[in-house]
Amino acid sequence: MQIMVNGTTHEVDVEEDMPLLWVLRDELGITGPKYGCGIAQCGACTVHVDGVAVRSCQLAAGDVDGEVTTIEGLGTPDALHAVQEAWIEHQVAQCGYCQSGQIMAAASFLETNPEPTDDDIDRAMSANLCRCGTYPRIREAVRSAATKLMEA
Amino acid sequence: MKAKTLAVAALIAATATTWAAGETATTTAETEAPSVSVADGLEAWSRIYEVASHPRCSNCHVGESGIPMWSGPSYGKTRPHGMNIAAGESRIGAEFVTCATCHTRSTQGNTVAHAAPRVDMDWQLAPAQADWFGRTSQEICSQLRDPERNGGRTAQDIAEHLDHDLILHWAWDPGGGREPAPYSLQEHIADVMAWGMAGMPCPNG
Repeated sequence: MQIMVNGTTHEVDVEEDMPLLWVLRDELGITGPKYGCGIAQCGACTVHVDGVAVRSCQLAAGDVDGEVTTIEGLGTPDALHAVQEAWIEHQVAQCGYCQSGQIMAAASFLETNPEPTDDDIDRAMSANLCRCGTYPRIREAVRSAATKLMEA
Repeated sequence: MKAKTLAVAALIAATATTWAAGETATTTAETEAPSVSVADGLEAWSRIYEVASHPRCSNCHVGESGIPMWSGPSYGKTRPHGMNIAAGESRIGAEFVTCATCHTRSTQGNTVAHAAPRVDMDWQLAPAQADWFGRTSQEICSQLRDPERNGGRTAQDIAEHLDHDLILHWAWDPGGGREPAPYSLQEHIADVMAWGMAGMPCPNG
């Protein structure tokens, strides 16, 4: 089957029920999305399909209906996404395992809720677990990114 | 189930509904104008209430909080949906995390225990007016027969809604070790139609 990831179309020979996360990591070598729980409870595997956050461990390869964007395709080193910039500005990451999922979730969230309250941010980002407990910095970074995106 | 007392044809060909793997066709067509007694209508209602109050239905039939529940045999103690999830006024989670972020759209059924249930449509909560979680038989019955609070539907409309909504179909084939809703989709549709033909009676009149 064909699958478009970060602007490139790939031909992959996989079973219809293989989770997208497996396709990305094992077939295409795109390892930004992480495996955490495999049952949609941690958010580490979050990618976008047509700009909307999806848990790639829950989406079967045969059900992908749109262009996939991973953390590798969200911004470039020369032109980071506002959420990536904010992540650096606030030095959010500690171990960093969850951050690609956190950033992809936050980028999608700010598309649909561009002026979130702190409660909105907490509500949205609670579905992405951080074992290091960086939640206060995550909230600050998402708030900063929202402001930057509104000014852009 | 007293299907023989219900003048509802089960022989009409399937509608244009998209069926998930393993599903069978249902029908909401009436054969002719029959009469269903109030007593039989109340019996049908009691079965409808068993379905409406079952976790496969009521967990997502919550009120204005927009917070789905986790309850039933596969969840242990009753609690709000994990991950601080709220579906918001949109009822699809657009304000926070969309339901479809985890409840992906698929025709491949549900086999993995604890994974997010999925069907071939975007996951969502029922409307806030259909607030069934923890409600009594009388409360749910009153809501379901009130056109002001049921989306302006007749019993026939409710039966047709059941026939076409794939999230509702999932309740009878939830997979992943989850307990299905009682009876069957076809029996439930027949009960809704019988209840309608009896005049939508509720336990307290």
